[in-house]
Amino acid sequence: MTAVTPMKAWKSPFLRVFFFLLGHIKPLQSDLVNLSFIHFARWVLITRSNFPRLSESQPKEQLHYDYLLFFSNFNGTWNQYIDAFSDVLEKGLNLVWLWSEKYPGARPVTPFKRYIAMVQFDTDYYYTAYPRATTNDVKAAHRVNAAVEDLARRSASMSAEQFGAEYARFLVAVQGDLGATGIGPIGT
Amino acid sequence: MANQSGSVYGLTILSPIIDDPHAEVSHDCAIRDYLAGLPRDHRSPFAKLSSTHIARLVVMDDVIFVGAPAREEHLQSKYLVFESNFDGDLDTYLRRMAQDIPSELDAVWRHCVGYPGVRDVAAFTAYMKKCQLKTTFYFADVNDKTVQQTLHALRVQASVAEFIAAHQGQPAAEIQAAFQQLMEKIRKEPPPIAGGHEESAKPHTGTARTAGGKS
Repeated sequence: MTAVTPMKAWKSPFLRVFFFLLGHIKPLQSDLVNLSFIHFARWVLITRSNFPRLSESQPKEQLHYDYLLFFSNFNGTWNQYIDAFSDVLEKGLNLVWLWSEKYPGARPVTPFKRYIAMVQFDTDYYYTAYPRATTNDVKAAHRVNAAVEDLARRSASMSAEQFGAEYARFLVAVQGDLGATGIGPIGT
Repeated sequence: MANQSGSVYGLTILSPIIDDPHAEVSHDCAIRDYLAGLPRDHRSPFAKLSSTHIARLVVMDDVIFVGAPAREEHLQSKYLVFESNFDGDLDTYLRRMAQDIPSELDAVWRHCVGYPGVRDVAAFTAYMKKCQLKTTFYFADVNDKTVQQTLHALRVQASVAEFIAAHQGQPAAEIQAAFQQLMEKIRKEPPPIAGGHEESAKPHTGTARTAGGKS
């Protein structure tokens, strides 16, 4: 998702302060982390005088507003994403976007979706190195990989009986992380 | 640094697109046309840039008017937005872009103002940095694993799940022997391929409509 919203220039410093706090006080990110369906996300605040100008022949921007760019790389559908945002991250999202013009709030969800649909740009090209893996798949795979490497390291000199016991413990440890990757069911 | 989270770097580039009223095909349309045919799977240019987790390109035609009482305004230029999430530092990544995917870069960025090409890597790097926007807040859920580590882990996960299902109820000695074979197989496998094996929407011809024909 790529969304761009206008902000009155005097509001930008307040938003910068909020992002500074969000970046430095990790518990404030806990809802975002716990949602666990965003691989990478970013907000970029671009002031009205800061659009790149590469040549004298390129006309200068004459803007009244600063702009907030939002990029999110998530798994699932657009509707699932916005619904979850609205349900779980309402307060955080409001603190980010309340500075943007005409932002209606994250709840109720209908005007919120209407607003996001209005300010977003369709992505012309998208690439992911692991297209079939969700954020949870990635985390689970790293846990399985660490556990299997650990078992391999420890089991080299074990008797069959010892290995059997360790293998059983390994199964218990990784059983929740063995789901297959792929295209998930879509319910909107 | 806001551009970085752990070992992952979040690059945001905003490159002004050439505005040429005499072009047969406008430069923004030419970029979109080219991107529409570019493979998105293991044949993607970004799969060659093996440190890229996720990347996107967007043509930003204009800013959005969100309705009164907000003021309606318009950009003087269209912009190409490039967002990438990759392992390591910016200079290495930009250098690798210039070296590993020069023709794709030229095909896209030759439609942008001031693009110097990739032959002079230092000039290309300087150009991209001029177009770079500093990220205000960057979030990376997994920020301590490289692309290759993640691809490897995903493959191991699939192999382990298959192994467990295949060896249920067998005697411990047999599982132990098979487990050693599994680990040997995992260690001997070639590096995993990034980008998956999805078929792209249409084959990439590499020769999109060109802009500037009548300039």
